[in-house]
Amino acid sequence: MGNITSRFPNLITIPKLLWLLAGIVILIIPPISTTATITMVSRIMIFAVYAMAYDILRGYIGIIHLGFALFIGGGTYFVAILFANVGISIPILLLAIVGTTIYSIIWALIVGKIAAKSGLLATAMITMAFAEIMRNMMERWRTVTNGLDGLTFRVPAPFDNRTFMYYACFVFLLLMAFALYKFTTSPTGRVWQAVRENEQRAVFLGYDTNRARTIALLVSGVVAGLAGVMFALLNRFANTDVLAMQMTYNAMLYSLVGGSGSLFGSIIGSAVVVLFQNFLLDLRGVHFIFERWLIFFGSLYILVVIFMPKGIMGFVETIRERWKHKKGGKIYES
Amino acid sequence: MLGDVILRTENLSIQFGALKAVNDISISIEKKKFTTVLGPNGAGKTTFFNLISGLYKPTSGKVYFKDQDITAYSPQKRIHAGMGRSFQLTNVFPDLLARENVRLAVQSAARIGFKLFKSYKGYNRINEETDRLLKDMLLEDKADVKAGDLTHGEQRKLEMAMVLAQNPEILLLDEPTAGMSVEEVPVMIELLQRIKDKGDTTIVLIEHKMNMVKALSDTLIIMVHGEFLCEGDPESVSQNPEVMAAYLGGGAINVSA
Repeated sequence: MGNITSRFPNLITIPKLLWLLAGIVILIIPPISTTATITMVSRIMIFAVYAMAYDILRGYIGIIHLGFALFIGGGTYFVAILFANVGISIPILLLAIVGTTIYSIIWALIVGKIAAKSGLLATAMITMAFAEIMRNMMERWRTVTNGLDGLTFRVPAPFDNRTFMYYACFVFLLLMAFALYKFTTSPTGRVWQAVRENEQRAVFLGYDTNRARTIALLVSGVVAGLAGVMFALLNRFANTDVLAMQMTYNAMLYSLVGGSGSLFGSIIGSAVVVLFQNFLLDLRGVHFIFERWLIFFGSLYILVVIFMPKGIMGFVETIRERWKHKKGGKIYES
Repeated sequence: MLGDVILRTENLSIQFGALKAVNDISISIEKKKFTTVLGPNGAGKTTFFNLISGLYKPTSGKVYFKDQDITAYSPQKRIHAGMGRSFQLTNVFPDLLARENVRLAVQSAARIGFKLFKSYKGYNRINEETDRLLKDMLLEDKADVKAGDLTHGEQRKLEMAMVLAQNPEILLLDEPTAGMSVEEVPVMIELLQRIKDKGDTTIVLIEHKMNMVKALSDTLIIMVHGEFLCEGDPESVSQNPEVMAAYLGGGAINVSA
């Protein structure tokens, strides 16, 4: 009774304090950390955007896109090919952004057409084939892409500065999270959920579900493409790994661990997975068994799926529900 | 006479393999009347509805709605032309709140289209309409429960709210009381009576229990084995010997043979 949180319920709450804390931590990382840490957190922020874009499809409208690497890979290669073969400047970067956007729109429209004609599974398989075709093309087009060995390139100032890049990634994450949040709470975003839940009913409410799907594919494709541009700027390197199946699995992993159908979950998921990967990699120095770190990583993934089927966000939600009930029970007793 | 017809089918047929699920049905539904399509299980009633509402494309025949040939229309186009249908098996969005189920229906009817940049909460007219419908359907205390967690009867009522949200000129109701408990059925009947008394909606109801709809219906249409058997006011139809044979005889006396 009479504590601060109950007297000013809307001024200071635990979530707000956590947000504030997270904001402060993110802002003070660059001055106090090593370059490796700065780069790693930057990568987490880019992957978070990539995972959120994936979750629009998987968690909101219910499309399984097994070729999602098409988008992040496309963005990365646009930057890489232009920087390595044409020139290094901000206008070229803008050109890469425009190119990535157009490229993502074209892929989104193609996949939209396919999803409208065939079912969920066929779409999943066909999209996987698309990504493999693109990966193969980039591998064979050696004169421009240098194949599997990849392209190394320099980036224009100020993006060559790690600290600047870090804040750029942070702003990028904030902008994309805000935009996607806006979209998911718009009338269209609600139709996405209706399509995921029961497409036939959505049709008989009068919704053009194919159109809803195409809009989702466009939004998610363009956002993931832009994440690819940032990824290239951060890594200054591109090879066919960005177009490989593993890249699509990453998006699935991040959004599933964080909690499907929750944008914030995708951010948390990316952070947890990347941090844990790094942690396991560091353990290699402790004992040679950690050379096989993927075993531990896979085991953890299985545990998450078994014990937190709805991901971290789902788990937090369950705990909060339980806590609420407990609190309610106490009031009842007294 | 023809001006009063809102929905007409012309030799409507659909065939699945060798099965003629709906065979050569030509009927007219009069405007603002309560018509019930009756028939034993497997008579093709739901398939007939699926043809009218556009879920299936007919093998042959045509559907006219408000004197327009809508045979080639998509389901969505038919909905926006003024049709509303419910389903025999409960068909809601199970993981969304009851309120959101209704709100989505109102949103579609309001044709606010595919807006991306405005919050869905920002449409007062839609929210008010949603609340009104939930209240009408006695679901106001259940508004914040997931549709999948509602009882079966509540889900049926929710579905009715979703259909009514579209303000249809013609209501196609596929066994709205199917699977309802004995206590819940009268609530649904009363609701149907209320819609009928308002007098501005044409209602077509599918049922297989005749006693339930006799009092409500202006016209009965009897279907057996995918075919049209007879049509008329409830009294004369229930006296019809063929109908009695179809109902009482079941499979023993095959009327269409």
